[in-house]
Amino acid sequence: MKIAWALLRKDLTTEFRSRDRLIAMLVFSLLVIVVFQFAWPPMEPAETLRFAPGVLWVTYLFSAVIGLGRTFVMELENDAMTALALAPGTRGWIFAGKAASTWILISVVQAMTALAFTLFFRVDLSARVLDSALIVALANVSICSVGTLLSAMSVRSRFRDVLLPVLLIPTLIPVLTAAVQGSAATFAGEALPFDALQLLIVIAGIYSILGFLLFEYVLDE
Amino acid sequence: MNQTPYSTESTDLIGRWQRGLGWLLLILSPIFAWLVVNAPTDAVQGTMQKILYVHPPLAYGAYLGFVVTAIGGGLFLKNGQEHHDQLAIAGAEVGTLFCSLMLITGPIWARGAWGPGNWWVWDARLTLTLLLWFVYLAYLLLRSFTEGEERTARFASIYGILGVVLIPLNYWIIDLVGGRAQHPENIQSGSLGEGMGLPFLFGNLTLFIAFAYLLVLRWRVGVSRGDSERRALEKEISD
Repeated sequence: MKIAWALLRKDLTTEFRSRDRLIAMLVFSLLVIVVFQFAWPPMEPAETLRFAPGVLWVTYLFSAVIGLGRTFVMELENDAMTALALAPGTRGWIFAGKAASTWILISVVQAMTALAFTLFFRVDLSARVLDSALIVALANVSICSVGTLLSAMSVRSRFRDVLLPVLLIPTLIPVLTAAVQGSAATFAGEALPFDALQLLIVIAGIYSILGFLLFEYVLDE
Repeated sequence: MNQTPYSTESTDLIGRWQRGLGWLLLILSPIFAWLVVNAPTDAVQGTMQKILYVHPPLAYGAYLGFVVTAIGGGLFLKNGQEHHDQLAIAGAEVGTLFCSLMLITGPIWARGAWGPGNWWVWDARLTLTLLLWFVYLAYLLLRSFTEGEERTARFASIYGILGVVLIPLNYWIIDLVGGRAQHPENIQSGSLGEGMGLPFLFGNLTLFIAFAYLLVLRWRVGVSRGDSERRALEKEISD
């Protein structure tokens, strides 16, 4: 448990000082949104609102892949990975610390992305902000847990930059589907759809438990 | 020269299973083919309906491959024995084969049933099955991109377990988006026409045995290869 806190604090401190990952993810997210502007035909804000959940979630997912890809790169320097493996206690807590720091990071980027989207496209996403935030928060738990697990694996393989999305995206499609459905409802000012919420909670639970348990086998002896 | 008695013994046992399944497959296949040829032709869909005798059994094989991969992976993580990892590889490779064949036979049927040009529709079930195929591909890519045998086995085991968890989640998603409109529901008792039940049953049986035979064959090849490599290494050391 202590390891998780220590890692979380360490990651956030280094991130706060360098802001590498944050800036990279944010610039990438903004670029994706701008690209969408060129990719679709001109339309009214009301029509844009229908596309908003899909576009936003695709952007969230891709920027999360970028952030997750860097999660363990820092640990490769000076072989900090071995030091992590040697740390006493359950390795699941290393996973928890890493996943938590990524969760905070991608949530910040997503909030800024949504804000930028609102400004660029003059759409109002503010209906039921808290419900929308709940969906994002839950989906991020799944993205970060399965992403941290796979990132620790892919970072030590050849073609790590390609391997992570190939491994990660198929496992996140259920999360993406439920999140898009949930966001579509909340953006339109409707109540949170129970089905989607239920699914997001269950997947978040399953993925975090699996990540916690399986991380034991990710680090080399 | 030091042999590892455990794996040799298990190779023998696997070999016996392989031969038994091979004979069974040899007997079943012509019966199955005969039954399909002689099954009554569907009044609406014609000959094309006969794809039904192979398509769903292929799907079961594809899912079974996932389960075998996850079980092999789980056992490997628990005990660290190489032959469990070989079982996981066998499950993934045979599963990929069955999944690919399912994705090929489906559109052939769909084009006839849903009209020309309808090779593929983005129906939830089709999409999510395609996704499972991508999970298989990702599993095989992970294996080939990771360095070190023991590490590869560990990483692949983890991904195999993730993959099997994905199946029920995907089915839940199908319900959520309510996309069962195009793909027919699973076969229920009584939904088959007269005289179609027996060939369908035999299709399931034959393709299940084919799955088991290929699985065991691949497993045996993997275990034997590991054994011979180990023996060659030991010989080199003792020389």
